[in-house]
Amino acid sequence: MSFEYSVTYSAENKYENPVENASWQFLIVPEDNDTQELISVDIKNSMQARSEFSQNGYGFQTIRINTKERLQKINFSVSFKLKKLSFNPFDQIPLFDIVSNYELVQSLTFKVDFEPFLRQTKYTVLPEGTENLFLFDSSISIFENLQKLNNWVYNFIHFNAGVTHVNTVLDEIIKKPEGVCQDFTHLFCALSKANNIPARYVSGYLHQGNGYFGDSQMHAWAEAYIPQVGWIGFDPTNHLLVNDNHIKVAHGKDYNDCSPLKGVVYSQGANETVHSVEVQAEQ
Amino acid sequence: MNPDVKKPIFSSYINNTALFDEVFNINGTAKNVYQKLFELYGNHSIQDYVQLNNKAKSSFFNQGITFQVYDKKETQEKIFPFDLFPRIIDEDEWEIIERGAIQRSKALNLFLWDIYHDKKIIKDGVVPLDLISSSANYLHQMIGVDPPGGIYNHISGTDVIKHSDGNYYVLEDNIRCPSGVSYVICNRTALKRALFGVFNHYKTHTVTNYAENLLDILESVKPKGVDVPNCVVITPGMYNSAFYEHSYLAKAMGVELVEGRDLFVENDFVYMKTIRGPIKVDVIYRRVDDQFLDPLEFRADSSLGVPGLFAAYIKGNVCLANAPGTGVADDKAIYTYMPQIIKYYLDETPILNNVHTYHCSRPDELKYVLEHIHELVIKPVDEAGGYGISIGNRLTKAEIKVVQEEIKQNPRKYIAQPIMSLSVHPTYIDDSESFEQRHVDLRTFTLLGNKKEFVLKGGLSRVALKKGNLIVNSSQGGGSKDTWVLKK
Repeated sequence: MSFEYSVTYSAENKYENPVENASWQFLIVPEDNDTQELISVDIKNSMQARSEFSQNGYGFQTIRINTKERLQKINFSVSFKLKKLSFNPFDQIPLFDIVSNYELVQSLTFKVDFEPFLRQTKYTVLPEGTENLFLFDSSISIFENLQKLNNWVYNFIHFNAGVTHVNTVLDEIIKKPEGVCQDFTHLFCALSKANNIPARYVSGYLHQGNGYFGDSQMHAWAEAYIPQVGWIGFDPTNHLLVNDNHIKVAHGKDYNDCSPLKGVVYSQGANETVHSVEVQAEQ
Repeated sequence: MNPDVKKPIFSSYINNTALFDEVFNINGTAKNVYQKLFELYGNHSIQDYVQLNNKAKSSFFNQGITFQVYDKKETQEKIFPFDLFPRIIDEDEWEIIERGAIQRSKALNLFLWDIYHDKKIIKDGVVPLDLISSSANYLHQMIGVDPPGGIYNHISGTDVIKHSDGNYYVLEDNIRCPSGVSYVICNRTALKRALFGVFNHYKTHTVTNYAENLLDILESVKPKGVDVPNCVVITPGMYNSAFYEHSYLAKAMGVELVEGRDLFVENDFVYMKTIRGPIKVDVIYRRVDDQFLDPLEFRADSSLGVPGLFAAYIKGNVCLANAPGTGVADDKAIYTYMPQIIKYYLDETPILNNVHTYHCSRPDELKYVLEHIHELVIKPVDEAGGYGISIGNRLTKAEIKVVQEEIKQNPRKYIAQPIMSLSVHPTYIDDSESFEQRHVDLRTFTLLGNKKEFVLKGGLSRVALKKGNLIVNSSQGGGSKDTWVLKK
């Protein structure tokens, strides 16, 4: 069974001084994958500036908008329609041999192949002395451990919008465990990696019909790699396995690879951006 | 100096036989290849020489051949000190250097392809995973990308020295944006102007064919479907220390010199703004570092790059030389694996020697380094231009303590090598108004293209102008000499 979603991403950018030449790049287009299919994209902006599709360095689709017209404010609004397959996340988890998987993740070949998602990054570096904050139990499967980690992170951080920002690192989160989806996801990834399980940061949209946290912004969750299974999505902010309410846009090592909007503006002075997201199910 | 007393050029030259002098034998006679030159220069007095040297210097200044030295306090624009007494390398010795430089460039290119694709060399345990996983220059965005023609390091600058054992050793392979080739050409021009006659007595290879070969190499890596590629040189701008070189190379190749703001990207193709409208750009010789190439992909605060350039690159619509991510192999820690890298990909033994290197990241070697700092050179793995180097036998006890602490804090950041005794070359020194022995190295320039390769027959012989100094980089007060490679 499948159903349709319509998603609208809006952003308003304001600049203190007039801008004469600017480029913006949006990483907001839902990816085409096994569980979702993009049907249409509609891009609008208040300057009638030219837009084009491109891709970022990791192969995810981007929208780039350039203008040479003088402006101090610009509004963007991008709407998507997509088809999402309904699925039960537990269907993906087969029974498998526990011991050989723990041996496999220790092998050099595995560590080399998954190097990008095992390395520590600015946002996923654990402060000294906290590497053992959550240790895997090798008598149960990797999947079960990840579920426990998901639960642990959910309980460790208190969801609180407004106390953290896009530059918050784990050192601050561990000292004062409050934050939003980005912080939950970074901590999950860091602890998964500390246990030799590759993890990546995913940005996307969450259909919030069922009262999940998401704050009408883009959402973030994690994917961890389980040998013989593949990448499995965990949403520690909501204590969930990723399901058909999650619409994936892109993944990367951390937030840095996934930030939804990057702008290059040739101007001096401050700027301000307000984003909002609306997700509707149209079954 | 009394102008009436004309002193022969080498009259007060002190030949310290403990050093390897490239010109004079231990008994004071000139070596074979230098004999003719020795006679020719011997006809002149030191006063004539000074006059010529001053003329040559002012010609450099008048042409604007300058570079900038960065300091904590200020930036200074300087003339690159030039010495009119050339260095000569005979054909047999040169052949070894040339073959060795090509071998290294090819091996590094295969290494780069591998670590951005299957990573076999790491899986086979030949080099440690740590070399890429802890390298800031390893670009994940390049994983799986096939650069046009399969080439990463189109331009390499291999630094070699002649040790007191008479053999050449490689100090490092520079494959980010090696500079210095314009000085090679300027040195030749200056020497020809000042001492035209001496060239009649030697069959010296030209160095002015560098630019045409560079253009050839750049055109050989044009994107698919392009017939006659449009090549450009991109520079960070006139305040960059090597701006003269960027402008020289563009001019000599007959291509446009551009800054980031002169280019734009549309539908993943790169265009140059001109008064006659946009012109598509196919190959970019970039003298801008990876992190500054594209503010939408790398450092967002870069005003030197072109928004969207990297997307155009990975789509295969433009070629960047050198390829993004090449810097990972420029790491001094990778240098130490060069013999293994050459063996792994080419199944050959290295033609040029490596200097033995201790990795401070390995506990047993770290221990050795900490105990033997006084007889080692300590280098940070990721700095260029001779910054951050400590030479053990020049340090006081207190300074050694400081260095030990720094290494202990961050062992992965440092390597150590025995203090190599660089050969010396007679060099005119202003203060003493005479020739003195000074240490020299040699930067060679190797080009690698699609089924093409080229080594400039010559190179930049860099001279450490301070007595006894072993660091020859221009930013550390080094000078240079014209370098002749003789024809067979």
